[in-house]
Amino acid sequence: MVMEKLAGKPRPVSRRRLILTGAAAIAAVAAPSDAANPFRFGLTPVFLDNDALVIDTLRAALAEGLSRPIELVQRRTYEEVTGLLLQGGVDAAWLCGYPFLQHNRALTLMGVPVWRGRPAYRSYLIVARRDVAQGLGDLAGGTHAFSDPDSNSGWLVTVSDIVRTGRRPERFFSRSIFTYGHRNVVRAVASGLTRSGSVDGYVWEVLALREPGLAERTRVVARSEWLGFPPIVARSDRAGDADLARLREVLHRMPETVAGRRALAALHLDAISPGSPDLYGGIAGRMRDLKGLR
Amino acid sequence: MIGRWLLRMPLAARAPLLAAALMVVVGLVASQQVLLSLTRFQEARLRELVQVHVDGLSVALGPSVLREDVWEVFDTLDRARAAGQAQRMVLTVVADREGHILAATDPRTAPTGSRVGAFVATAQALDAIEVSASDDRITVLAPLTYQGRDVGEILTALDVSDLASERRWTVFWLVLGNAAATGVLALAGYFAMRRMLRPISTLAERMGSGVGQPELIPETEMPRGNTEVGRLLRTYNTLARAVRDEAEARRRLAERERFVSLGRLASSLAHEINNPLGGLLNAVDTIGRYAERPDVVRQSANLVERGLKHLRDVSAAALEHNRLGVSDARFAPHDLEDLRLLICPELESKRQTLSWTVSADPDRMACLPAAVMRQVVLNLLLNATAAAPHGGRVALTVAETADRLEVSVEDDGPGLTDIARARLQSPDAQRPGAGIGLGVVRDLVAGLGGSIACERCEGRTTIAVAVPAAVPVETEAC
Repeated sequence: MVMEKLAGKPRPVSRRRLILTGAAAIAAVAAPSDAANPFRFGLTPVFLDNDALVIDTLRAALAEGLSRPIELVQRRTYEEVTGLLLQGGVDAAWLCGYPFLQHNRALTLMGVPVWRGRPAYRSYLIVARRDVAQGLGDLAGGTHAFSDPDSNSGWLVTVSDIVRTGRRPERFFSRSIFTYGHRNVVRAVASGLTRSGSVDGYVWEVLALREPGLAERTRVVARSEWLGFPPIVARSDRAGDADLARLREVLHRMPETVAGRRALAALHLDAISPGSPDLYGGIAGRMRDLKGLR
Repeated sequence: MIGRWLLRMPLAARAPLLAAALMVVVGLVASQQVLLSLTRFQEARLRELVQVHVDGLSVALGPSVLREDVWEVFDTLDRARAAGQAQRMVLTVVADREGHILAATDPRTAPTGSRVGAFVATAQALDAIEVSASDDRITVLAPLTYQGRDVGEILTALDVSDLASERRWTVFWLVLGNAAATGVLALAGYFAMRRMLRPISTLAERMGSGVGQPELIPETEMPRGNTEVGRLLRTYNTLARAVRDEAEARRRLAERERFVSLGRLASSLAHEINNPLGGLLNAVDTIGRYAERPDVVRQSANLVERGLKHLRDVSAAALEHNRLGVSDARFAPHDLEDLRLLICPELESKRQTLSWTVSADPDRMACLPAAVMRQVVLNLLLNATAAAPHGGRVALTVAETADRLEVSVEDDGPGLTDIARARLQSPDAQRPGAGIGLGVVRDLVAGLGGSIACERCEGRTTIAVAVPAAVPVETEAC
């Protein structure tokens, strides 16, 4: 496994897992019903998390598949959601590949969305529509909007690209801000708050379809290589839990159910594949490029 | 200029115009007050709006401004704008305590990191917002207060074009409404005033319509009731009757004077006829007595012939004098000769001497009507012979100036009494008395547009009449 190679350690085992699993089992037995014990699913702005319809269809698909209520938990930053996941505040979460790799020993893949036929996406470097910049090099000294310090497409790609050019990322832009949302990056660039921005290519493309008035005010000046699509992950120590096994099955079978297809359509995704940590080698490579900077 | 023009206008038009002008003034003042109130109301509304806007933003932005979180500040501003909460706010800029812009609703206009000072120059304080008629946009600067301390500034540009438009429409409707109301009221006032002032117009017409005499207002045109105007018109009628009565009295007096002078003329004529009659009878007696003496008969016949010719001349002069009363003959030297003939018996009866000087050009004399001038001169001569003592002197002078004919009659009588002088020169009615015919002379001379002078010098009284007698340039004759 690529991630295991990267980490150089076997996946963490699991007395705690056993304890937690036991506790979960006890909780499940003790629970008067599933209605009082909803499945908690963490969300990050790896997709259009501001769209109520998307959220609702996703909740409906999961609820139908799991036959229990779904509590969708949203936080401002990736770090908060990742923390919630690691602490057990949520049962599973849709995270970015970068935090997944950051905590690869504690997290396990539940599924990887398939977009346009592959479980991958790209990071876009965007500027205002009439900006004359042609690439990252033209943006030096300007203002820049990142999505999140734990976002691959919204931070890692651009920063690692800068590092690869031999420059210091913290001095490359005159000012950089975090908007904590890919859609917010597009807003910041479209409004002129910053000259450029780093955004999830999938989000930008979906935004171009759903909010063309916003996306058309920006222009993509650089696209990264294909990188592993933000995965749905859970804690490794709970990987064998029945509800997570059920979740995995529900995710993989989404194209087979009406609610699942509706959710996928709303998300502009084809399916959710089982995925593999190998998909995230590109991100891991960029992480290596940054070692020593952070 | 306008004042004079206004004063010349009829009262029935001037009064409504004045009312309309007052209406316009009242309308302007009222409009000004309405606009002032509207502007104050708009300013209060704006103050309240901006205060709510700033307060809301202060609560929402306080922590973000403290952290200098550019995105959060922008996101809050942008969502507030997108939510339509601040449609009037065309630009909101948030700056930190040092005046550096953190974010604005339009970052291109107010870039992050630049100084807010560039926008502050035209900004107004929140508690002193003023909206001028020409501004479509105003800028307000307010402190951003969080937890009781100023953490930054909020600068807001407001679109007030709708308020300006509201004021323009208000002005338009005020002007239109006032103009219509003023027009209607002025028209109504005009007709009401005209109706009220109609008796005054009637009075003015009657006063001016009669030639030299006021005309009575018929009872049918009198206003009903015992109103001021009604009393005024009745008083006018009373005065008009008095004037008429006075004129009638004067006419009768003049008539009587003419009869008096006619009587004196008749007496004079009788004397003129009687004088030769004695001689004629003597001659006829002589002819009868000395019929066989041809020389005596011839001589007597000559006497009779001369006497009869004289009688013929006297009767011709008398006839001419009466005939001229109804003709339009022009004044001529022979008229003066007729008068001389007519006045001679009067002079002879009192053994008075007559000095007769006529130097006026006949063409000049012909500019005047013969009947009137004969009447004037005869009356002056009769008056002079009456005034002059037995054996006294009477003189007539007819001369001309550039454009007047002057007739002077002089006597060495005792002079005119005050009554006679007043009769000669005053237009007012006088008691009957001395100075027979002088009233007639005054009226006739006044009718010719002439003047009468009277002076007393070294025992002699001179009455000088001057009447316009300009010879037309083209014809050199009248």
